[in-house]
Amino acid sequence: MKKCKFFVLLCVLSGACSSPSKDITAPEILPQGDYASPVNCQAFERGTYLPFAYAFSDDVELGSYNLEIHSNFDHHTHSTEAGECGQEPAKKPVNAWIFNQSYEIPAGSRVYEASRNIPIPLDVDPGEYHFMIRVTDASGWQEIKSVSIRIL
Amino acid sequence: MTASLIAAAFMLLPVQDTTEVLGPATIVGDSRHQELMHLTLGSVEVGRNYIENHFTGTLMQSLSTIPGVQARSIGSGQSQPVIRGLGFNRVAVTMDGIKHEGQQWGDDHGLEIDQFSIDRVEVVKGPGALMYGSDAIGGVVGLYTNYLPTAPVQGRVNLYGRSGNLLVGTSARLEGRSGPFFWRMHLTAQDYADYKVPADHIEYYSYEIPLKGGTLRNTAGKELDGALTLGYVGKTFRNDLKLSHTYAKSGFFANAHGLEVRLSDIDYDASRRDIDLPWQSVRHIRVHDHAHWHGEGYVVDADLAWQYNHREEESEPVSHGYMPAPEDSHERIFRKHTLTGKVGAKVNLGARNILQGGVDAEFQHNRRGGWGFIIPDFETVEGGVFLIDKHVFSDAFNVNAGVRYDHAFTAIHSYRDWFVAPGADGGAPEYRERSAEARRHFDSFTWSAGVAWSTGRWVLKGNIGKSFRVPIVKELGADGVNYHIFRYEKGNPDLAPEESYQMDLGIHWTGEKLSVSADPFFNWFPSYIYLNPRSTYFEGLQMYEYTQCRVLRTGFELQVTWKIIPCLALEAKGDYLFARQMSGEKKGYGLPFAPPWRASASLTYSFLTDGYVTADVRVAGAQRDIVPPEKSTDGWYTLNVQAGKSFPLGNTVLKAGLQVENLLNRRYYDHTSYYRLIGVPEPGISASLMLGLEF
Repeated sequence: MKKCKFFVLLCVLSGACSSPSKDITAPEILPQGDYASPVNCQAFERGTYLPFAYAFSDDVELGSYNLEIHSNFDHHTHSTEAGECGQEPAKKPVNAWIFNQSYEIPAGSRVYEASRNIPIPLDVDPGEYHFMIRVTDASGWQEIKSVSIRIL
Repeated sequence: MTASLIAAAFMLLPVQDTTEVLGPATIVGDSRHQELMHLTLGSVEVGRNYIENHFTGTLMQSLSTIPGVQARSIGSGQSQPVIRGLGFNRVAVTMDGIKHEGQQWGDDHGLEIDQFSIDRVEVVKGPGALMYGSDAIGGVVGLYTNYLPTAPVQGRVNLYGRSGNLLVGTSARLEGRSGPFFWRMHLTAQDYADYKVPADHIEYYSYEIPLKGGTLRNTAGKELDGALTLGYVGKTFRNDLKLSHTYAKSGFFANAHGLEVRLSDIDYDASRRDIDLPWQSVRHIRVHDHAHWHGEGYVVDADLAWQYNHREEESEPVSHGYMPAPEDSHERIFRKHTLTGKVGAKVNLGARNILQGGVDAEFQHNRRGGWGFIIPDFETVEGGVFLIDKHVFSDAFNVNAGVRYDHAFTAIHSYRDWFVAPGADGGAPEYRERSAEARRHFDSFTWSAGVAWSTGRWVLKGNIGKSFRVPIVKELGADGVNYHIFRYEKGNPDLAPEESYQMDLGIHWTGEKLSVSADPFFNWFPSYIYLNPRSTYFEGLQMYEYTQCRVLRTGFELQVTWKIIPCLALEAKGDYLFARQMSGEKKGYGLPFAPPWRASASLTYSFLTDGYVTADVRVAGAQRDIVPPEKSTDGWYTLNVQAGKSFPLGNTVLKAGLQVENLLNRRYYDHTSYYRLIGVPEPGISASLMLGLEF
């Protein structure tokens, strides 16, 4: 205990302990109420829209988020959440769908419901894809969620 | 047996140089006194015995039992020096006085040095910029291979092994002296398997990664080193010509190379010993000539060295973002040449004044290859001149002061992607420029002053100084994905040199049986270079940008040695560090990989002149002072034992040393370890055996 007091003393002497409390937790990716999209193994048709709907929350302030879709034709998934759906044989991509967009979250938000319709091009390869959701908070902490989807 | 081992606890090997003969304790006290008076900065010197007795895989792991010194490890085969929480390019590693140059931009690069060729290590725990220029801002790990053989032919063969990663290795040293000529040969070979951790799976973000048999897949590696020294030693002149070659290849933990855990066709669990993709290999070649003259009242040293570093990182070619799947596995290739020249002299001006001065220059030339971009091609030229004056008022009181001026020039080449991507803001597809051509000049003026005073059993030291570090090319010109951590790192070509002001104190009391040391320090960085995690994304990756901020650091090391009875000694040591960012976006946060407080206590039982048994307990506090993307780390403790003894064998001596780490096989995380970021615990119980035959 004496040691602790000494550390506190040292810290006070160094004039550095008065710094404001800092954010040390990452944001969360949650469903919007009981609805979330996409969810594991959900299938979407080319030429239609993929409706994205998740909520983000942070104890201090959210930063921004990124949605990314890449093919999983080589079955590279190992996430606890993004399991394998369908078990199609592995194949080489011809024109795999690549989607990668970042979005801002209004400054000061602690909770944000993100919804957008992502158009699925007609000419992309059908098959298994990964839908990656990444969100940061204003301090730079990040949370990631991956979802396995199928494009028909 | 175990109980008696623990009861006989140890670790109290006097820090000694193998080239020195230790006399009775009182003489040790005197030489300790002289050693303390020698430098006004805190420094610790250890010899080959210490390194071998503490052998646990890598040189830095062996040295991490020194208070204030940590090893930042990646896997079981690589580790980097960290002094008082500062590592990477903030610690200069020197080999016989020449700065060792690897590809020092990566968190996962080890030291490309054959640890068995080292005769002596001097760790300076404080800014060494005055002598070594840039990079020595946090400290210096000085490695020396300058032992002078005494017999026409002598040598030593070591065989060693370690259970945790099934390491087997051998190192042979053959040397001799005839008249003024001497020579030395070194050969080291080792091979290790995937290492074991006390866990059956790890968790990273939402991924759960099972570990088959508790082994960290694809962390196996191998090393092959050779060296040759030819020397001449006359009455006033000595010359050492050294050639060395080190080669190491090791796997990256397959599930850690990037965030995306890939199910490749590679069967990683087929063998613990194979090295699959992704892996790294490093070759380091060095030619160094050192000349030394001395005469009445003067010493002159001159060095010329060439170093070549060839690093390759191979991984499975997969498409990412707009990058199509590459044709081969050459993710990154780097070839770096470093040419160093140095002349220094020490002159006695009168009986009490020693003037030391020197000039040094270094040229670096680095070329990249492979499909992954992280740093551009570059050249750097650095030169410095320094002058230090030491005035010895008496054996009990000396002061020194020095100044140094440096100029550095960095030329960065342009680099464009080899694949097309949509232009910015939906423009025409283009080969995006990752690195713009840039030329930067840096000037630095640094100084230092110190005092050492001894009275009775006390030695008191103080040192204050300014040191600097020229931004490395990664900090200036990085622009790309760091697949190891899966983030986007962006350099800042406008960075100013990092500067640091530091005050060091040394308080030492040496008694007959008891000695106590305390080394507090206080440090202020007006322009610390920090890789700041932002809240923005670039191409799906979180953006990390190099920025500069004010940083305050303070801390201390403590060491108590107590010779209870002639055969039983107790040693307790510990260190504590506090760091705060005082400006910028992360104001109020600490620094990455911050070591928590550590303490250790060891009891050594000595028998039959050179036998010893030591038991120690090592404790570390929790680290909650974290920055993104770190996780808080709980405190931990481990129990460890060591034992060693020499046995005469005809005309030879057989030396055996055994070390068992983490005796209780406890699962714990080291906050300073690279793999901590992905939730990998430290190795479980592991025994190391070292057998040496000296002839």
